[in-house]
Amino acid sequence: MATSLAAPKLTATLSASPSLRTLRRNLSVPLSLLPNPSGPRALGLRSLPGSRPRRRRFSVEAAAEPDNGAEAARHYDFDLFTVGAGSGGVRASRFASNFGATVAVCELPFSTVSSETAGGVGGTCVLRGCVPKKLLVYASKYAHEFEESHGFGWMYDAEPKHDWSTLMANKNAELQRLTGIYKNILKNANVTLIEGRGKIVDPHTVDVDGKLYSARHILVSVGGRPFIPEIPGREYAIDSDLALDLPSKPEKIAIIGGGYIALEFAGIFNGLSSDVHVFIRQKKVLRGFDEEIRDFVAEQMSLRGIEFHTEESPQAIQKLPDGSLSLKTNKGTVEGFSHIMFATGRRPNTKNLGLETVGVKMTKNGAIEVDEFSRTSVPSIWAVGDVTDRINLTPVALMEGGALAKTIFLNEPTKPDYRAVPSAVFSQPPIGQVGPTEEQAIQEYGDVDIFTANFRPLKATLSGLPDRVFMKVIVCAKTNRVLGLHMCGEDSAEIVQGFAVAVKAGLTKADFDATVGIHPTTAEEFVTMRTPTRKIRRGPSSEGKKDSDAKAAAGV
Amino acid sequence: MARKMLIDGEMGKPDEADVHYDFDLFVIGAGSGGVRAGRFAANYGAKVGICELPFHPISSEVIGGVGGTCVLRGCVPKKILVYGAAFGGELEDARNYGWELNEKVDFNWKKLLHKKTEEITRLNGIYKRLLANAGVKLFEGEGKLVGPNEVEVTQLDGTKLCYSAKHILIATGGRAQRPNIPGQELGITSDEALSLEELPKRAVVLGGGYIAVEFASIWRGLGATVDLFFRKELPLRGFDDEMRAVVARNLEGRGINLHPRTNLTELIKTEDGMKVITDHGEELHADVVLFATGRIPNTKRLNLASAGVETDAMGAVKVDEYSCTNVPSIWAVGDVTNRMNLTPVALMEGTCFAKSVFGGQPSKPDYINVPYAVFCIPPLSVVGLSEEQAIEQANGDILVFTSTFNPMKNTVSGRQEKTAMKLLVDAETDKVVGASMCGPDAPEIVQGIAIALKCGATKAQFDSTVRFIISLPTLENL
Repeated sequence: MATSLAAPKLTATLSASPSLRTLRRNLSVPLSLLPNPSGPRALGLRSLPGSRPRRRRFSVEAAAEPDNGAEAARHYDFDLFTVGAGSGGVRASRFASNFGATVAVCELPFSTVSSETAGGVGGTCVLRGCVPKKLLVYASKYAHEFEESHGFGWMYDAEPKHDWSTLMANKNAELQRLTGIYKNILKNANVTLIEGRGKIVDPHTVDVDGKLYSARHILVSVGGRPFIPEIPGREYAIDSDLALDLPSKPEKIAIIGGGYIALEFAGIFNGLSSDVHVFIRQKKVLRGFDEEIRDFVAEQMSLRGIEFHTEESPQAIQKLPDGSLSLKTNKGTVEGFSHIMFATGRRPNTKNLGLETVGVKMTKNGAIEVDEFSRTSVPSIWAVGDVTDRINLTPVALMEGGALAKTIFLNEPTKPDYRAVPSAVFSQPPIGQVGPTEEQAIQEYGDVDIFTANFRPLKATLSGLPDRVFMKVIVCAKTNRVLGLHMCGEDSAEIVQGFAVAVKAGLTKADFDATVGIHPTTAEEFVTMRTPTRKIRRGPSSEGKKDSDAKAAAGV
Repeated sequence: MARKMLIDGEMGKPDEADVHYDFDLFVIGAGSGGVRAGRFAANYGAKVGICELPFHPISSEVIGGVGGTCVLRGCVPKKILVYGAAFGGELEDARNYGWELNEKVDFNWKKLLHKKTEEITRLNGIYKRLLANAGVKLFEGEGKLVGPNEVEVTQLDGTKLCYSAKHILIATGGRAQRPNIPGQELGITSDEALSLEELPKRAVVLGGGYIAVEFASIWRGLGATVDLFFRKELPLRGFDDEMRAVVARNLEGRGINLHPRTNLTELIKTEDGMKVITDHGEELHADVVLFATGRIPNTKRLNLASAGVETDAMGAVKVDEYSCTNVPSIWAVGDVTNRMNLTPVALMEGTCFAKSVFGGQPSKPDYINVPYAVFCIPPLSVVGLSEEQAIEQANGDILVFTSTFNPMKNTVSGRQEKTAMKLLVDAETDKVVGASMCGPDAPEIVQGIAIALKCGATKAQFDSTVRFIISLPTLENL
């Protein structure tokens, strides 16, 4: 009985760009909508580089090129040579090509696990980070959903079982598809892709497996890699690359680290019914996050069955005759692990790149030092993304890559803007945040009003599970501006994304209050917070006082 | 006290100041708008009474309940059923993520219904406590006007109470209406649909509005065969045409049979349900027929004529921008005024009323850029103008930005369902004048965007916020 639907009639005139239509009210030519183009469509919600006028010639910033006259005459194989085809490198290359530059990018062959000789077009985000991680989060989250569904009347003859190999196969098929799509995107943008290991020979030359390419500009965007500390038995441990592609489900896993990667994998393995133990050096997880969020997420994760071992540092790993692993820490030894995973940070991939020889300056931990425009100490060499260790997030690498292409090839010097960058932790429950933490806000602004909500969402009242939601809005007492927003609970990442625009635009708490809620949602809580939970004021004699004292003194 | 009266501006009317009223405010109807207005008025120091019909999930002339439509027969129970139904799709999606499930997972409707009733009963109690804690006196019974400053409450045992009040607020909401076709008594409205004894196997829904598509999604998600009939080419008249087409495609994709430009003409009882006749001459068999054909304001039994309160052709109480009726002492908020029938709008109207009348700050509710959502599966959420409205209202050009993409979850689950987003921008000012999204979590995402729109954010400001869909990593992130 299904009836096909005719496309709605629109009174419109369509411009050439599929995602950008200019509609004139006086025109009344009825046109049916264009069908959706198949394949990935340029996202409308951003400026389209393709819509800018193309130019073949561009001027190089004279001041930055000491030997400008000579340079201009010299012929290069490429205007831009990018080393590393991850998020930042692909974005910069693609945009540069759209702006008229001749561009090549080199990348190591594809493998799910990275090394000195393996990588893959797409980079960490697509192959060993955001994407596979999120797929595993989706997979593991079903366990919680099955539990919830009991409360909504769903009944299972047998509790749902999970088949590890199906998940891995489907995940890897998707990664293969994505790396193919990325290659196509480069091809369609006329970027030359060279497979191999790039090494910088001089300020204008890159060596890829013995072949030399000259370039006016070189971009280093080789990303980072997980770091495992030197302890006895570290060869038995896995990192996040391997954890994303295990041949079988861990029965009992130790995860070492309290950062976002540790928490995300703890949620994944817990959902897929491993026995999960998280070992953290400090008292709390997620250093640098809002204190209340840190407490809240740990509590919620514990309620879902994850065991936290706080202030416990690993000292050695031992493999026992039965094949199981034991972990020795400063507090004792925990035995019987099938896997031990280190989520103890990531390091920039700057070894063996030839950076030292051409004089590119690096920080102590190996990150490339760059200026605000992502330029290194060598004027023709630039760097974006995790290799610079600024804010290591895919969207930030994209922003840096986009800004760089504009700076070099549109002659529009553009600085990436790191203010109010929203971010998420896909733990279970997830966290979303934008702007400073309460502690940072107090440091910077002194007088702030804190609005919080901690409640049991409608879904949990039905499911009977102990799930809760925590939300916080930080407001500058003097200006009423919303400085930051933090949330932990279902849909946090999606919710905070919407609010990030408002925070970034510098809107006030009054603006939040003037906005009508969408009922019934969790997000509406953010626009219905009427009374501050506490008002923090710098007392007249608070100089030298600690934040916590100031808080206590406020006592509201 | 004299000073207070002076502030109230009542010195000029000494005769009125002398009049003693039982209440400063008497509210008829304890739904979202009435409870909010009553509580806030009490917080401003007013003596407040409120009356409401006894509680039952299904409303009638003599049945209601503290909490009103939203809590007892609308948003809340509906969302509970949507949560329940959404698991249907989730179970399908889980398989490609490696979960081994039986071909058919059983569903116990009675359990869900029981828990839903438990929850709304709990909320009914919470609302009563809210009123008590605010010092608002609650009367159970049917409220009627007797005059501009007088109400009568008929209690359950038939006894009548009469009170005088300086101000009277009508907040009696609305109720589903049925079409006038033969056999209409065989059909149900959303009230009954939220409390059905049995889950229908074959459901027919008449209507193209949000209630119709929500119930179609609920029953489909729980496994029923669903046929949706509506008058227009696409469901959700008044929404952006492109988004309407997306919703229609998604409903079909989830297995709902759509019948555009089709009406029902007759329902005939049969042995195992009923026969449904359409104006195209088709016949269908159904266990349940839902009429989602609009709601009308509850004004019939209020005796509005006694005070001379004017209503419009639909029966909605006519009010000015401050929610005052043509009788200065009588006010009305919420669905009974048929302005914008949404819970948060009724709350806003209730708040503004209390502020204006008892807080000394005349406040008009602001209906610009009110966001709202349709909880079909997947949901639709919008704020600001539709493309059609934008073209209609704009002086110059409107830029339309759209994005249609396959959400990452679907890449592995294999679900063929695109998420669609749309931004409308005034070309001259760069201001975003409308935003809509159809896809998982759309209402949660649009809430934040609504603030930006409300404050006149520009497209440039949207662009400068690092990745609009940072948390939904997709190919478009490239």
